[in-house]
Amino acid sequence: MECPACKGVMVVAEFQKIELDHCTRCLGVWFDAGELELLAERLARDGAVLTMDEIMALPAEEVVEKARRCPICGEKMLKVGLGSQPRVLVDVCPRRDGIWFDHGELSQVIAQTRTTQPAGATEAKPTRMIRFLGEAFEAEG
Amino acid sequence: MWEQIRSNQIRSIVLVAMIAGLLLLLGYVLGAAFLGSGIGGLAIALVIWAILNLVAYFQGDSILLSMSRARKISRDDNPRLYNVVEEMKIASGLEKMPDIYIIDDPALNAFATGRDPNRASVAITSGLLQKLNRDELQGVIAHEISHIKNRDVLLMSLCSILLGTIVILAWYASRIMIYGGMRGGRRGGRGGGGGQVVIIVVAIVLMIIAPILAQLIYFAISRRREYLADASGALYTRYPEGLASALEKIAASTAQLKSANKATAPMYIINPFRSEGRAASDWTSTHPPISERIRILRSMAGGASLTDYDKSYQQFHRSGKGVIPASALGVVSVMAVTPEPEALAGEADKIERARETSDMLWKFSEHRLVNCECGTKLRVPPEFKSDTIQCPHCGRTNPVPPRHK
Repeated sequence: MECPACKGVMVVAEFQKIELDHCTRCLGVWFDAGELELLAERLARDGAVLTMDEIMALPAEEVVEKARRCPICGEKMLKVGLGSQPRVLVDVCPRRDGIWFDHGELSQVIAQTRTTQPAGATEAKPTRMIRFLGEAFEAEG
Repeated sequence: MWEQIRSNQIRSIVLVAMIAGLLLLLGYVLGAAFLGSGIGGLAIALVIWAILNLVAYFQGDSILLSMSRARKISRDDNPRLYNVVEEMKIASGLEKMPDIYIIDDPALNAFATGRDPNRASVAITSGLLQKLNRDELQGVIAHEISHIKNRDVLLMSLCSILLGTIVILAWYASRIMIYGGMRGGRRGGRGGGGGQVVIIVVAIVLMIIAPILAQLIYFAISRRREYLADASGALYTRYPEGLASALEKIAASTAQLKSANKATAPMYIINPFRSEGRAASDWTSTHPPISERIRILRSMAGGASLTDYDKSYQQFHRSGKGVIPASALGVVSVMAVTPEPEALAGEADKIERARETSDMLWKFSEHRLVNCECGTKLRVPPEFKSDTIQCPHCGRTNPVPPRHK
């Protein structure tokens, strides 16, 4: 698979039995829909988790940032805001093939989940998945 | 079972003869209209048909499999799938183990192909392998194996070749008519009379309706075959629910199969092209609606025999006519099995199945494996040129094993 951002070589990182595609050049991360589903199922046991359907239901935003193409189907991906203050715009494939995080975006969301995590509070939906990504990409945190 | 195959064959021969008759008629009339000789046209039609047939008979399955970008696997590549196919081979009484192929595609689908039961293959997508549990996989494989057992595969390829020949003839005739129309017209005038005009009119009409008619017959044959394969699938597994639940999962998936095309569509367990307008597509679809197939399987009322399937089918259609050839219905009742809970407990869960399937695909696509000390596995594609790679999880730098030629 070719990196949708920089056309670099993607390697597959398998962490806790979930596969993520990781660009060796721009350090972006591609999260395949099938893998997201597997992760959602595993995490669903101890609470809610963001699924592809829920992400797709979030409103797509019109921004100047250039639309990237899905590395699987080649369709232009939609920009969707995740998290809060500031919202992080990730790319989502309109045909539900997966989600793309640019390198900076991932560490931004990870940082958010670390600071906005009051003890005992129920987690906001997106954070469980993001926390997994944070664990998978520890080095970037 | 023997009678069932026989009766299938007779019915099929009639339908195939109808298409063949259509082909001969088209050849003759086109020859009469454009070459001035009906026999000449007939000969051309037969030669095209014979060539296509020879190619399909000797190379058909390999062309089809390579067109679908399928890859042959052995027992070691995926023992789970291999075992299921082996079980169903035994249950169906097939003599030879079919070859097993994997199509790397997230869509859920499967097909069977081959010249005869001794040279046959089943192909399934990687998506299907990941999503289905053992019972469901067994149902799908049993459905495909029964296509082989009932000799559907050769028949379907013969039909599609006949259809293909008709389409080719009609297409070229229309080109000749458009670009060489003047010459044909002059000759018509010389040959004299209204007779020639009538022949040309008949030729034009045939050119338009023959492909459509042939296609409708072809679809009718393939639809009926899907019901039959479902019925035999239930019989071989003695567990109709397995196939029903597999069909349900397949129906729920939105992924389209990328490598399918019009010619190969009737071979798959479900139509790889989803059409929304179901009522309108009834006549022109190669597959019965999935919802109907699921309901028939689910209302088999504890039985798993062909008779049970036929009863359930009649109940559903209220037409009093079944789909299973009458000669096959004398069989004593076969009870469906209820799976034991223990059997399910030992089942590899979804994540295990996904990893098992993707491990196999990574191996095929020549990805090199780097095991980082932190427990992260990295799969490096052949395009990756550097000798070392940094683990995205812990940051360690790992050596990449050299590519073996």
